[in-house]
Amino acid sequence: MGKFILKRIEQMVLVLVVVSVLIFAMVRITPSDPVASMTKGRNVSEETKNELRIHYHLDKNPVEQYLIWITGAVQGDFGESYRYKQGVSDLIGQRIGVTLKLVVMSGILSLLIALPAGILSAIKMNTWLDKLLSVLTLIFVASPVFLTALVLMLVFALRLGWFPSIFQGNGIKQMILPAIALAMNMVALTSRITRAGMIEQLNSDYIRTATSNGLPRRRVVLVYAFKNALIPVITVTSVQLGTMLVGAVLVESIFAMGGLGDLLITGIKTADYPVVQSVTLLLVFVFLCINLLVDVFYAVIDPRIRMR
Amino acid sequence: MFSAIFGHAPLYRSRKRKTGRLFTPAVAVSFAVLLILIFTCFFASVLAPYNPNAQDLYNRLATPSARHLFGTDQNGRDLFSRILYGGRTALTSALGVVAISMIIGVPLGLVSGYKGGRADTFIMRCCDVLLSFPSLLLAFVLVAGLGRNTFNAVLALGIVYVPMLTRLTRSLTLVEKNKVYVSACISLGYSERRIIFRHILPNCISTILVQITLDIAYAILDLASLSFLGLGTQPPQADWGAMLDEGRAFLLINPLLSLIPGFVIVVTVVALNIFSDGLHQYLDPAQTALPGFRKYERKYLKKKEVETDG
Repeated sequence: MGKFILKRIEQMVLVLVVVSVLIFAMVRITPSDPVASMTKGRNVSEETKNELRIHYHLDKNPVEQYLIWITGAVQGDFGESYRYKQGVSDLIGQRIGVTLKLVVMSGILSLLIALPAGILSAIKMNTWLDKLLSVLTLIFVASPVFLTALVLMLVFALRLGWFPSIFQGNGIKQMILPAIALAMNMVALTSRITRAGMIEQLNSDYIRTATSNGLPRRRVVLVYAFKNALIPVITVTSVQLGTMLVGAVLVESIFAMGGLGDLLITGIKTADYPVVQSVTLLLVFVFLCINLLVDVFYAVIDPRIRMR
Repeated sequence: MFSAIFGHAPLYRSRKRKTGRLFTPAVAVSFAVLLILIFTCFFASVLAPYNPNAQDLYNRLATPSARHLFGTDQNGRDLFSRILYGGRTALTSALGVVAISMIIGVPLGLVSGYKGGRADTFIMRCCDVLLSFPSLLLAFVLVAGLGRNTFNAVLALGIVYVPMLTRLTRSLTLVEKNKVYVSACISLGYSERRIIFRHILPNCISTILVQITLDIAYAILDLASLSFLGLGTQPPQADWGAMLDEGRAFLLINPLLSLIPGFVIVVTVVALNIFSDGLHQYLDPAQTALPGFRKYERKYLKKKEVETDG
């Protein structure tokens, strides 16, 4: 087991190194002068410009710049933002809380909605209820996260006034609408997988045995079948958690919540390279870590995977 | 973000169909909707009552009326015309994304699957690296480097979609290459290129086609996300995602500005999903029972009975 985890971590580090080079290069595909955009509209002497170049290591060649960034990143120092004149690590530290809270909340919320919906449509397979749920999930999947968010905001914050219409800060009341918006997209896939798993389990022999032994239906469905149907759901959910980080970017931008997503998007718009590359690397890192955990989880359950 | 969350798996699967028809009611309706959308968007210049960028500053944020079917936006531009032109941008961009991913992804997958060995390992590792980005994030970074406009958004998403398509094609090729007809081709001395593109590709293409109709739906959603964030199509040009973003500031005064583009996106994507599902079931023989087998059985068995009776 330890050997398996070690091997996977080794692979992950390798991928991270390649990804970091890729990110660094991609951000700089089109040559542009950050100092020019930093000092845009202001009358700045050549001397100051040169000082800025030296301050941000822009006088060095790309390879050296990369090495400075990556050695710093490993130690938790992502360099300094061009725009905020502040350490990127500090910027990330201030904002990551909102993003994490949003992702965790909507992850839990999506499970709370998706699992009952999936079980229900499995029990009532091919009835009007199942069809209604499948149409609803189809619509929620097709509805882009920002549209769901806008409709929620319009109805519940602006028209009904149940929630504040300013979403900055991370009080529970501010987080509810964004979390629902992000969760709605996850619900679809999770409930479909729950449904498929439940149908498979409910048709298996041990369920027939349990039923013929006279166990109550509720117990058969919720304990016996559900337990076994849960395994694929857990995997899918954990993978979703990673990708929800990107969904959070969109939601944060709509509700102007001031999370990592806001930071990333303004970074892209203002060519703030240190911010863009560092936030991206962080998100990829988190995503890979979650994938690693899922793999380990799988290996614990299924010994065949460990052997490969 | 949808491909980010769901991978490129189909999101909608109806029950097993009983006959081998393509146009079941659901598929026929979605196909009609798609045809109407394509027709109206590509003839936008003829059908649109106004120039999409013509401003009528006396008539700002107007509610729907006979003159302006969907009303007007904050600059007095006709929303209906902008929806049509925006659809043209959205549909052509989505097709562009899919075309790019297909041109790169399919040949890579074919070569990777057929040749195996080092080429395969190399291509698969590259895919792994690209897939280690939660998908839209890669598009963000690419757009950050390339610059923000429609073309770059299309290019970025095209690249983002490549690894999934490569993997799909590779897995299909791996199955095909062990079939008898490939051995026959090899024994006839055909070149590798001919075997891959003339013999294996046609046998994989139907599955790839289904995936591509789905990818168009995802591309529309992802492009709208990029435009919404201001990373894709830039403001004066009409685009569904960008219009949603522009209308957001006037949510309380005239919510239709955001809701109509959103509604159109949802309808398009749902229609594409249902159509793709229908196509999948039509092209995949395992999904359909023999067409009308029971009917024939009844017919001929009855006939036989009649014959023996007589």
